[in-house]
Amino acid sequence: MDATIEVRGLRKQFGQTVAVDGLTFTVEPGQVTGFVGPNGAGKSTTMRAVLGLEAPDAGETLIGGRRYAELRTPLHEVGALLDASALHPGRRGRDHLLWLAHSHGIPRRRVDAVIEQVGLGSAARRRAGGYSLGMQQRLGIAAALLGDPPVLMFDEPVNGLDTDGIRWIRGFLRALAREGRAVLVSSHLMSELEDSADHLVVIGRGRLVADTSVARLLATASGDRVALRTSARTQSMSLLAKEGAKVAADGRDSLTVTGLPAERITALLGAAGIPFSEVRAHRATLEEAYMELTRDAVEFQAVAAAEPDAEPAAAPAAPSSPAAEEA
Amino acid sequence: MTAQAFGRPASSVPPAPGGGPTWTTTAARLLHAEWTKLRTVPSTWWLLGTAVALMAAVGAGSVSAVSTDQCASAAACQEDTVKLSLTGIWLGMAVAAVLGALALSGEFGTGTIRATFTATPRRWRVLAAKAAVLSGVMAAVGAAAVSASLLIGRLVLPGNGFTAEAGYPPPSLGDGPTLRAAAGTVLVLVLVALLGLGLAALLRDTAGTLTATLGLLYLAPIFKTLISDERWAHRLERWAPMPAGLSIQSTRDLDRLAIAPWPGLGVLAAYAAGALLLGALALRIRDAAD
Repeated sequence: MDATIEVRGLRKQFGQTVAVDGLTFTVEPGQVTGFVGPNGAGKSTTMRAVLGLEAPDAGETLIGGRRYAELRTPLHEVGALLDASALHPGRRGRDHLLWLAHSHGIPRRRVDAVIEQVGLGSAARRRAGGYSLGMQQRLGIAAALLGDPPVLMFDEPVNGLDTDGIRWIRGFLRALAREGRAVLVSSHLMSELEDSADHLVVIGRGRLVADTSVARLLATASGDRVALRTSARTQSMSLLAKEGAKVAADGRDSLTVTGLPAERITALLGAAGIPFSEVRAHRATLEEAYMELTRDAVEFQAVAAAEPDAEPAAAPAAPSSPAAEEA
Repeated sequence: MTAQAFGRPASSVPPAPGGGPTWTTTAARLLHAEWTKLRTVPSTWWLLGTAVALMAAVGAGSVSAVSTDQCASAAACQEDTVKLSLTGIWLGMAVAAVLGALALSGEFGTGTIRATFTATPRRWRVLAAKAAVLSGVMAAVGAAAVSASLLIGRLVLPGNGFTAEAGYPPPSLGDGPTLRAAAGTVLVLVLVALLGLGLAALLRDTAGTLTATLGLLYLAPIFKTLISDERWAHRLERWAPMPAGLSIQSTRDLDRLAIAPWPGLGVLAAYAAGALLLGALALRIRDAAD
């Protein structure tokens, strides 16, 4: 069984609002896949559909090639953190993990192991009603890890964590992926995924905007451009072109090189003894790349928020309003 | 944090394609999980404690308030002393209804229902496991409350003239009708808890479920006092869940009952079963997350 999440033509409607509209993507094992989109784009709905909590109006979702309802021991196949605050306030954190463990015959020592792993420590003995958002998140992550599943899904896991917590969770996600697990992490802030995601699935208005590796997205957004200033223009052009770069002249002594990293260009020119006075790479941030991708979706959100009539009053949980879904 | 800190590598997870645990293993695990859920919430324990205390207290009050002095002769009282000792059921039922409703509506309220259905995608199994665990707990607590009530009756009643010589033998489980009333009272508590559970599966919201459950139980006896039409009063007593169910408590003058003890309990059981079936259907059809 491949540890994958497959979403195929998923469509889900709440009343008049189409939350997810024909979404298709695959989450591969061994990497962290960021699931990004503005608030209300349909991320949580998609995740709930994957977990069989919401029946799709069309399409299907598969875990390791099987529908969620067919999984005999789901916690061993996929771990999920959906809404960290979904805890009984009177129940102790450890007891929350304990009943989940019992449902799959998972031993108590595993419960204590995941408590240790997420750094919840003695707080696990306290009633969940007194938990901070950060503690809730850690408990939710512990619950996802209980069954040691090859597939993991986290909905906005960074919410409510302090700087240390955010750094911790980034390392944590990367380590989980290094072990060969498929890790899907949603966020409405691309910057949160800057140092952790390998791959990105970007959605807006319930539709796929981009399904790409982080490296490729950055390369596209940056144009992978390097500005080069040199007096030996022709020499540089032919040398770099031979190495596979696209070179364009934009001035008497300035070139724009695409397809080679700045370091490589410096090395090549140096080795060939070609003089140059400046090599400057243009690097877009993930946030810039994302803003470019989702500009349409964000504009739509702004319009929708400005029209209260667009929100169906009868379905308060429908993700027509951004706040309703992500809250 | 290093990779080793995560214990077993992902590749060692058994994929379990088609295989997986046996049906009995799954059932046992599910019961264990639901028992853990029920016992780790403080409200369960104070509700159960309240149920026993209230039933014993109301029973004590009831048996203390009657005396053969109020009748022409002791025999003329025609008091059903067993039923009287078990009067506390009127409050016990309310607590059982709350416990049953909360067992599920609490999960919808806090959102833990998503974790529950994620762990057990076949939702009817969750309802079945909850019903089983609730039944066990309610039966144990009901047995304690009924025993306490009957014991209080045994101690208090003779002092008020209800002696064996006067035709009122002390309540004893060795006596057939008394045993029926005692066991039946326990079953009424179980069935009322299941009614609350079933309605919670149907309605989800705690306040709504409690209103519906308590309304279904207590409105009929209240209406009965307002209805002047004999036939309708009779029908209400036969087919409304609470009056019908409580006929199981009668130990004398059974021919004057609107419905016989066991069929009466059957009516209550039918309400509970109906609520559970509709609830299971609703769980299956409706999305879990709304």
